[in-house]
Amino acid sequence: MSELEELVQSLEDGNSEKVVELTKRLLGAGASPQTVLNNGLIVGMGVVGEKMRIGEMYLPEVLQSATAMHASLKILKPLLAKDGVEPLGRIVMGTVKGDIHDIGKNLVGILLQGAGFEIVDLGVNVTPQKFVDAIEQQAPAMLAISAMLTTTMLNMKGVIEAIGGAGHRSKVKIIVGGAPVSEKFAEEIGADGYARDAVKAVDKVKELLAIG
Amino acid sequence: MKNDRLEKALECTGTDRVPFVPAIYEHKAWFINDTPSNVSRDVDLLTKAVLTEYEVVQPDALTIGIDVYNVEAEAVGCKVTYYEGDDTSIPAISADSAVFSETTRLTSIDLPDSHRDGRMPVNLEAAKNVKRRIRDEVPVRGALSGPFSMAANLVGPEHLFMLTVTNPGFVAELLSFTSEVAIRFGGAYINEGCEVIIFDSQASPELLSPKMYRDLVLQPTRRMIEHFHALGQKHVPLIIGGNTTKILDSYIETGANNILCDFSNDVSKFLIDCAKNRRAFRRNIDPTDFLVAEPSDLHRRAVTGLEESRGYPGYILGTGVVPYGTPTENLKAIRDAAIEYNLRTTGYFL
Repeated sequence: MSELEELVQSLEDGNSEKVVELTKRLLGAGASPQTVLNNGLIVGMGVVGEKMRIGEMYLPEVLQSATAMHASLKILKPLLAKDGVEPLGRIVMGTVKGDIHDIGKNLVGILLQGAGFEIVDLGVNVTPQKFVDAIEQQAPAMLAISAMLTTTMLNMKGVIEAIGGAGHRSKVKIIVGGAPVSEKFAEEIGADGYARDAVKAVDKVKELLAIG
Repeated sequence: MKNDRLEKALECTGTDRVPFVPAIYEHKAWFINDTPSNVSRDVDLLTKAVLTEYEVVQPDALTIGIDVYNVEAEAVGCKVTYYEGDDTSIPAISADSAVFSETTRLTSIDLPDSHRDGRMPVNLEAAKNVKRRIRDEVPVRGALSGPFSMAANLVGPEHLFMLTVTNPGFVAELLSFTSEVAIRFGGAYINEGCEVIIFDSQASPELLSPKMYRDLVLQPTRRMIEHFHALGQKHVPLIIGGNTTKILDSYIETGANNILCDFSNDVSKFLIDCAKNRRAFRRNIDPTDFLVAEPSDLHRRAVTGLEESRGYPGYILGTGVVPYGTPTENLKAIRDAAIEYNLRTTGYFL
């Protein structure tokens, strides 16, 4: 097994120590930070996402893998910046006002970050104005809005209207998700896309941003 | 007059019609034109809201509680955010209000007093009032947070999920603590002549693996249910949302009766396994569009659900959590489907 394959396996195992050790070893042996990112972390988190999709991994294991990924990214990020390597795109995400559920949103964030995106997480109970402010300040390629309640999902419409009202709708793609949300609802409120789960969210974001 | 429809369904002995038990929590406040935050903190408002629900919807069981996952955690020390004025948001455990960590010596923590701490007394008093008014007409159930969901509030959900891998020993201790909290609170409800209903959706296999459910959650849950059996409650409902088909064996092993078959579940598996184990289950209708759906559409969906039941005598018609503000006609349309279905099919399957 090559060290990159070992990195992928350690990431899948959620072994932070090993992931950090392998990251350092690969860089020390001359691998570029981008190679470690693309062929190690992104491949590994892809495996994690797929295993979650087919029910071989659950939230606790995914969180372990995410911790390992973050430990490696802490080493890689300054090096990637130095090399001028850009993330695939910046995504602002948050759970709508009145809703404090964040596990699903965080899971989407983990897998998107694992796929190479930069995540700006606004947290939970986010007002429409705060989403608007984030678009102005962060200029994201995508906004990901989450709601877990049948009542709060209605606030997604308010967010999209506020973004339109501020004149930003054409500047950003919007994807929505959460347990009660459906494709039909997403269309009705004027979102660009909907994803049923975190794995599908990664595919949908790539599709909407035309990333192959 | 006593309505024993639900009891018969729980015994799987056949009823005059399928019981109707919608999941009404925050929506209770809407019946009295108030907000969930106000009603959840006031004995008189909560009593009035539950009695109005009974009068308007005529369900076959009532649940005491608005924000059913927060009450015990708040009594232990978590902070709950309430919304003021006309804001109808549901009270929620505040972010970063975890009260325990891995280093907490749980044996040194006092269990909350059900008659003194947080809103436990509000819920107990309301249960007592409702029970006094409706007597044995339908079961009055006090809502309890299940061991895993309560633990998620006490240490923070993501932290708890991480601990299931990094420190399962601590999680086991924590679930022993939380189940004891629920046992005490549940005992207080039963002392008032009420029943209990346990909610534990954080332990759903949408998040936690079936193996972890079996290794960590099953035992404390079973202990709670055995305790309530010993206190005289013959059938203890356990509600775990999401698709629980993968843990159905463990779910049944908890000893619960009136388990949940959410709308995303494989109903045929529930029919087979529940019949084998003589358990009743509540089949939910998806509540996503309750606020805007036409009553006729909901009626049709309820009939489809009832037909799926193939006349199983332990089938209970329910809904996912009813959104605040759902038109009463929509709930009545679902209930009417239960009434009409049995008029058409009495005796066919029994």
